[in-house]
Amino acid sequence: MKIGIIDYGAGNINSVYNSVYNLGYDPIIIKNQKDLKNIQKIIIPGVGSAFNSIKIFKEKNLFEEIKKIINTNIPILGICLGFQIFSRNLFEGGESNGWNLINAKVVPIDNPAIFNIGWCEVDIDKDLAINIGIKEKTNFYFCHSYFLDNINNQDRKFVLGYTTFKKKIPSLIIKSNFMGVQFHPEKSQSNGNKLLKYFLKWQPQ
Amino acid sequence: MNLLRIIPSLLLSNKKLVKGTMFKNHKSAGNPITTTLAFENQGADEISIIDIDCYKKKDLEPDYNTLKEIAKFSTTPITFGGGVKNLTIAKKVIRAGAEKIYINRSILKNKEIINDLVKYFGGQAVVVGINLFKENNKYKIYEDIENKINLEKYILQIQEMGIGEIKIMFVDREGKKIGLDLEYCKYLNKIINVSCVFEGGIGSLDHLENAFDEGIKAISLGTMLIFCDYNIVKIKSHLLNRGYNIRL
Repeated sequence: MKIGIIDYGAGNINSVYNSVYNLGYDPIIIKNQKDLKNIQKIIIPGVGSAFNSIKIFKEKNLFEEIKKIINTNIPILGICLGFQIFSRNLFEGGESNGWNLINAKVVPIDNPAIFNIGWCEVDIDKDLAINIGIKEKTNFYFCHSYFLDNINNQDRKFVLGYTTFKKKIPSLIIKSNFMGVQFHPEKSQSNGNKLLKYFLKWQPQ
Repeated sequence: MNLLRIIPSLLLSNKKLVKGTMFKNHKSAGNPITTTLAFENQGADEISIIDIDCYKKKDLEPDYNTLKEIAKFSTTPITFGGGVKNLTIAKKVIRAGAEKIYINRSILKNKEIINDLVKYFGGQAVVVGINLFKENNKYKIYEDIENKINLEKYILQIQEMGIGEIKIMFVDREGKKIGLDLEYCKYLNKIINVSCVFEGGIGSLDHLENAFDEGIKAISLGTMLIFCDYNIVKIKSHLLNRGYNIRL
């Protein structure tokens, strides 16, 4: 299986690579649109500021390419910032437009800025939790200060995990071939590995 | 809400771990790769690694290779620092497998690097370390020999620049197992509104309980884990039994 991890300059590519590799897969690093040929699964890591990262996506011609893949059945996993970019617009480091798969805007959790750094409980949809093999309340590692706010009614049903940190934060979304998580599965020890394993076997309907 | 965090604090020197007292007398403390994995399996919430060789040799870049080796097997979030003097070095650190970048001395004279890092990685990835030293009954920044920096102003300034976390180290307590200066932690917690980790002096379960009772959310442990008969499972089991909001 050709699994691609998108390199957009900022993300913690190696951490994601190592986690996937240690689960028995052999992922490749995607640096440009050519690398995306025949891709079967895509992971977009986090760690980055939105405005700057979207700029790099565009410079590498990866922004439009990934937008095309959203309309296929190729499974995509977005982590942290890699998850937030699937919303309508983002406000970190200046306003920018995302892929608009989820009708939401990405804004600070609070003002002045507060940071959710550390382990938090995620309330997960019962069926999904069973399929992943974790409890309905499971701890994952978070590291962010922006979140998906104002998810419109139509998209709210795709939110399968919430976390409470000052506000109710959507932390796990599955919509068609996209799975997005606000936390870092690659850095969440055994719980994270279970979620990654689930994604790597996942075939969206 | 966040769970309380226990973070092993590891110092890297010449590809090996070391640990000292009050930033001196460093003794060998084992293999960084196996030690990190052991702490991970015990349930460490994060790992903090600082390459101290970069403080001795100004032009040295951090030991990316050891970091890469650690990250190969680790699924625990890593904060890495020591010698991060600019964005180029920070990029290499994140690429090698760190989630957060620790900066300390490089910003005492020039804070511009904070702007570069926040703009590129977001504030959540930027940790500023502050080493405190008590002199004549007053705390000052350890590296600020001329005593020119006003600590409160300094903290407010770096917070304003968008950093996500501050790590306070009580240098005069490091390795001494006498507990944190809780009165001062209380004072600092009033100024600090970002995430904050405290280190320096913790040597017993009571010290930990007292610190968490005081409202501290994250504690970094060196000597207590490295040169004492404690491990994270033991510490966390104790805290869980006492009803603290911690993960095992």
